[in-house]
Amino acid sequence: MSYVAIKGGKAAIDGAAAAAEFLRGHDNSGEPLKLSAIESQLRLLTSRVVSEGGLYHPRLAALAIKQFQGDTLEAAFALRAYRSTKPRLLATPLQDSTNMRCIRRISAAFKDIPGGQMIGPSYDYALRLLRLDLADEDPEAFQSVARTFLTELPEADLPDSFPKVLDALRAEGLLPPVTESRGEPFDITREPLLFPVPRSAALATMARAETGSLLAMAYSNMRGYGDVHPTVAELRVGYIPVMVPHPVTGEPMEAGEVLVTECEVVAMYESGKAASLPTFTLGYGACFGHNEVKAISMAILDRALQKGMQDGPANPSEDPEFVLLHVDGVDSMGFASHYKMPHYVTFQSDMDRLRTTQVKAREAEQSPQREV
Amino acid sequence: MIDIARQEWAAALSALPTKEVKEAAESFASSCQVRDVTLPQSGLGLLTLRDGAFHEAFHLGEVPVARAHVLLRTPDGQESSGGAILIDDRATVARAIAILDGALAGRLPGWEAVAALVERGYSARAEKFAVRKQIMASTRVDFSLLGQADEEEGDE
Repeated sequence: MSYVAIKGGKAAIDGAAAAAEFLRGHDNSGEPLKLSAIESQLRLLTSRVVSEGGLYHPRLAALAIKQFQGDTLEAAFALRAYRSTKPRLLATPLQDSTNMRCIRRISAAFKDIPGGQMIGPSYDYALRLLRLDLADEDPEAFQSVARTFLTELPEADLPDSFPKVLDALRAEGLLPPVTESRGEPFDITREPLLFPVPRSAALATMARAETGSLLAMAYSNMRGYGDVHPTVAELRVGYIPVMVPHPVTGEPMEAGEVLVTECEVVAMYESGKAASLPTFTLGYGACFGHNEVKAISMAILDRALQKGMQDGPANPSEDPEFVLLHVDGVDSMGFASHYKMPHYVTFQSDMDRLRTTQVKAREAEQSPQREV
Repeated sequence: MIDIARQEWAAALSALPTKEVKEAAESFASSCQVRDVTLPQSGLGLLTLRDGAFHEAFHLGEVPVARAHVLLRTPDGQESSGGAILIDDRATVARAIAILDGALAGRLPGWEAVAALVERGYSARAEKFAVRKQIMASTRVDFSLLGQADEEEGDE
């Protein structure tokens, strides 16, 4: 591809940035968005950006959302750019999501699960009708929502964490055995995806994939270009305490916590290998923030990709190369956006070729070859 | 005495306003010598998670990390090491918590004030956890009342 460096456009580029800023503030409300407001009131948007940016930094995600005026792809890009300027200090030891401090925990497989089902903050059972009262919300009434909610909450006698639904199925011998960790997981921030890649590369790639891309791939499988037929064994949202060795004692200490959405799906069973019994197959999805569609889509694709890696892909969602190279928002947005940048030399060349071809075609028309 | 394990001190102190923690550390540091064993740093940590299906390790993404390791020495020669690693991008906060960690671990003069601070942070954290549990409890659902297949959201 040929590109032409832009010369003499600095004033226009500066003007473009100023114009974008003008549109951000031209309603004259005099109230710039506060990062805390974006982080809490647009928490699901912030969640998208932390997961697609691959960096759990809700405050900077909120800043990026503000800066790019709600464009999640650009916001994730900015977060990735930020992370590329920072040194890698450590990789955490293996974290266990059974320690998650849940705010939501449901199962589509069982009515009763150990510890119980809690819907938590969700619109699952809400009517999709516009709440017109929010259009002109009274600040005092808005502030009283949280106060009222907290005063009306019952005292809760719940454990700090909950067992996994899959553990019960595994204890019954209905699931394949756990494999535990096999060496160092793939680091997608340091190594290119050269296929075939291990499952850890697929999981890491999907964990920071663009939500819509992941959903589209998974949806193709759900609609018939695949046969995962998942049942959500467990979907949980909550905070995982990040445990690292204390700098002095070396004992695990809690460095903080990260909000994570996690989904485990049980899929069609398959014949056991060698002498083992048939078991259900499994898929797993997880991402930073609260993003259930992403976690479910990832779990379905994890199962589809396992099948594709084992038997060869029978449809696009089972093809690791097809899925993993096309779900990254920053990659795909960059490629799409580059088409609007100057391609003057390339297109000039295309036009020259077309004109030449037309001339030759006309000449051939005017002097047809005689058949011998 | 303090009943909270050292492993939780940093998380407890992180639950308090940063200004308060820094002021407490500065106050403590003014009465003793603080040497950085390693320079306070901020950067990133790669979060390694065990997948819930097969228990394989993978990287969920990165988190901001700040860390500090200090050696405290009082005028009468008492020494204590303190350290902290936080999911945070402020090395100065990690250093402040490392100072308080060292003071409390070594029971250096004035440690009681640090213990009180940790206990207060621990309580603030417990309140946050309690609210989450209350949210869970208030949305507990009993699907056993649901009938058989005709009431389910079947897709096939």
